[in-house]
Amino acid sequence: MISSDIIRGHLDLIILKLIIEKDRYGYEISKEISKRTDNAFEIKEATLYAVFQRLVKKECIVSYSGQITHGRERKYYKATAVGKDYFKDKVDEWQEVKQIIDIFAEEKNDDH
Amino acid sequence: MMTIKDYIEELFADIPESAEKKNVMEEIRLNLEEKVQDLVAAGKAEEDAINKSIVDFGDAGEIKRDLRAAGKAGADEDGAKPKKKRNHAYRLWFSIAGSALIIGLMVFINLYYSPFTIWFVYPVFAVLWWPLVMLFQWLGHPEKKTSG
Repeated sequence: MISSDIIRGHLDLIILKLIIEKDRYGYEISKEISKRTDNAFEIKEATLYAVFQRLVKKECIVSYSGQITHGRERKYYKATAVGKDYFKDKVDEWQEVKQIIDIFAEEKNDDH
Repeated sequence: MMTIKDYIEELFADIPESAEKKNVMEEIRLNLEEKVQDLVAAGKAEEDAINKSIVDFGDAGEIKRDLRAAGKAGADEDGAKPKKKRNHAYRLWFSIAGSALIIGLMVFINLYYSPFTIWFVYPVFAVLWWPLVMLFQWLGHPEKKTSG
């Protein structure tokens, strides 16, 4: 499993992506992340809720209680327009980071 | 056997009560209980499922820090902050009244005993530092508090 420290700075991107696709609740998101990455990355619930709090504070997502399952109200998250813009910024940022790291990671020793 | 509910209550025991705290606890509890159900459905014993969920949960430090910060901001709005500001204003008015008295005394002594040499301005400059410092504290102090 990948160290969460490396991914930490990009969690906003991952979680926003899933919420933009459709409104989701906490456990659904952590399940979806494990599923899509084939369990290569499992998000800790504690980290997930900290990201929710941060994104809500930034007004990127809003929560509402929806759909009652097993007699209980689930808290769903919905992406706002601010959140969608923020997601685009984060994707651009990641592209840039990726290019920079690639310069060094994929460097072939042609000079020798 | 420890339940998810017990675990979460223990986890957040040291956070002051608030609506926000209740919401977060409820949300985490529901999601963890659903995870336990999933694990049980996948064939795990309930106790193992609960333990795994708790271990997987990770470090709640960041959530708790945010909750504490939110609680503190709320408390400041409720009362602590205006009180502090009033305290600064009170000191400023006290310093202004105090310096006015001292300056008045200087002017009186000056005009009464040596009306042809105007020297009272010099101690007045010194005395004026008092309300100036109070004004500076009033304006500068609260900003420093919130950023730090």
